[in-house]
Amino acid sequence: MVNMLIVLFGLTMLYMAATSRIKAHIKMLSIQGLILFLILFLDEDKTNLINLIFLSIETLLVKTILIPLFLTRILNKNEVFRDNEPHIPNFYSLVIASIMLFAGFMISNLHGQGFENVTALYFGVSISTILISLFLITTRKKILTHVIGYIMMENGIFLLSLSVAKEMPIIVSMGVLLDIFIAVFILGFLVNKINTAFDELNICELCNLKDCDCND
Amino acid sequence: MIEAILIFPLIACLILFFIKSKKLNDFALIAYAIFHLVISISLYLKKINLETSATKLFGPYFSVDSLNILFLLILSVIFAGVAFYNKSYFKNTDRSDKAHTYYSIAILLFIFSMTGTILSTNLALSWVFIEATTLASAYLIYFNKTKHALEAAWKYVFICSIGIALAFVGIILLSIGTGSINSLFFNDLYINAGKIVPFWLKLSFVFILVGFGTKMGLAPVHAWLPDAHSEAPSPVSALLSATLLNSAFLIILRFYKLMELTHLDYFAKILLVSMGLLSLFITAVFVFNINNYKRMLAYSSIENMGIIAIGIAVGGLGIYAAMLHLLAHSLIKSSFFLTAGNILKQFKVKKISEISGILKQDKPTGWLWIACFVGIAGIPPSPLFLSEFLLLKAMIERDQIPLAIIFAILLTIIIFGIGKSVIKMSFGDIKIFNKIAPGQNVILSDQRERENLSDDAIWIDSHATASPPLRMTIGMYAPQIVFITASLILGICIPSFINQIINNAALAVSIT
Repeated sequence: MVNMLIVLFGLTMLYMAATSRIKAHIKMLSIQGLILFLILFLDEDKTNLINLIFLSIETLLVKTILIPLFLTRILNKNEVFRDNEPHIPNFYSLVIASIMLFAGFMISNLHGQGFENVTALYFGVSISTILISLFLITTRKKILTHVIGYIMMENGIFLLSLSVAKEMPIIVSMGVLLDIFIAVFILGFLVNKINTAFDELNICELCNLKDCDCND
Repeated sequence: MIEAILIFPLIACLILFFIKSKKLNDFALIAYAIFHLVISISLYLKKINLETSATKLFGPYFSVDSLNILFLLILSVIFAGVAFYNKSYFKNTDRSDKAHTYYSIAILLFIFSMTGTILSTNLALSWVFIEATTLASAYLIYFNKTKHALEAAWKYVFICSIGIALAFVGIILLSIGTGSINSLFFNDLYINAGKIVPFWLKLSFVFILVGFGTKMGLAPVHAWLPDAHSEAPSPVSALLSATLLNSAFLIILRFYKLMELTHLDYFAKILLVSMGLLSLFITAVFVFNINNYKRMLAYSSIENMGIIAIGIAVGGLGIYAAMLHLLAHSLIKSSFFLTAGNILKQFKVKKISEISGILKQDKPTGWLWIACFVGIAGIPPSPLFLSEFLLLKAMIERDQIPLAIIFAILLTIIIFGIGKSVIKMSFGDIKIFNKIAPGQNVILSDQRERENLSDDAIWIDSHATASPPLRMTIGMYAPQIVFITASLILGICIPSFINQIINNAALAVSIT
């Protein structure tokens, strides 16, 4: 069951790579949050209750509901619905993302010294998630897509931290939660500002700061 | 009492938020600066008197040891100078009370998170604090609220967040490798270093170096640094350059010690040297054609961080040289940035090509500008001469002569690049470039021209470009003069207690 959920998590990344509608991206983020919550619920040993409650709040409340809601609000306010003309066409980015995911599955077949502390499938899928989101950040052009890519990367890192057999101390997860929360809000705030200052929410608008302006 | 170094700013922020008065803001910053300095010195004295290995604060989470006391003292001293400068810097601008309050709160939080980073004894906790520095300083970079500032702030938050997320991957990988050691405290890691699986440790070092290296401004991941430093208000640039980069470096340094204890330091050294050399190379390439003096200084920060990374990698005497370099660079670079703030106030442009004759416009600023250049270039009375010389000596001692040659050549190119611009700006006649005729109010219709000016420029009457210099208060010179004098003393003869601090810090890094 858990393994199936993890594979599903990997598949959401493929859908992210294939589509250019930002609404669909946000929906996928929400689904990812839900999957993370289910994985946590099914897999985590229930000995440390506080940690479990805390992590469920993080996944269910923040990742599944709050952040997608916030992003949808920004989306509606700024009226950017599609990430047109990415640097690499969607089809090719789907192919590349599939290769990365496949590589992740290959990694999870590794059994060597030092792998006894880590659940292999989690590890492989999370590494490929991080890679795919970095790849999507570099190929997409809309600022909002970049923020979504960043949150996807954080989801991948969360899955990676679940793969470690022993749990992180609570202070760490608290810090992580707070950081993501504030970072997303700051980024969202900046997106709004950029929308008012520049005409379009395109990353190409943000290239005024250069080292040498040749035309002066 | 000592814990108050972390509690004070939080309480002060709350009070400032509800009162919102400029006078109180300035007072709070200066009070915290003095308080910070006093506490750091008392921590230092306590450490010497007790001769204990570490003074603990807040249980095991924060402590002072012989390595981070150097970083803490640097932070205190620089912050004290910047707080005084800051008061004069904002005297003649008509910022609203609200903006000024948010600015002060952000600075307090920024210093708070840097202090937390420096003092924390836990890898994960210092990670949290480093992330907090990003969030606190985002507003500071955006403070001028121009398009350029917005762009710089966006790049800063985004690039640093991703970098720091990668650093967190490094922490997770480390905790996979540590196996039965269920702790991320540096001391526990050092004690149990032998049990860590080398494969995971190597992998984790790469992520940690890239992650915290992003904050430190090492070359392939330095992209945010010139933008952020050039668009932030000058006091903030000084803080970013002289303290933030150091605190990120401290974590890399602590992790590097772990690599040494597990005998993987050859691997770490290769990475550090290559990133350091790349930093030098990129600075040497870009510093030539730069037409913005604050960007030029930012690149110089990248260069110096590269030198420090190389110093750590060379080892032995190199580590001592790197520590000395760290201290001297912080003093000189912060005064350089503050002086750049004076120039910006006087000339209202950031373009090197539009500035000449600083000495005629305003003597003290001009001489400070030249003195800072002499300092940063490492011309003999400067302590950077000492550290770079020692570093070269260490390289030659260790038979790394090709490295020494490349290092020296790149440094020479950089000095030439910076010197060309500084001399051009300092001497000559004051020329009135374009746009603003003397005595005319600056109302720039053209949006493009408006962007070329700093934000402050738009607010102030423009007479200053031509004649009578803007009234500069003593507060805008004093911090730089103090810093430059201090570094001069360091360069001529290092006082024994400072030498001891640097020496202890260097000993704390190297295990032999």
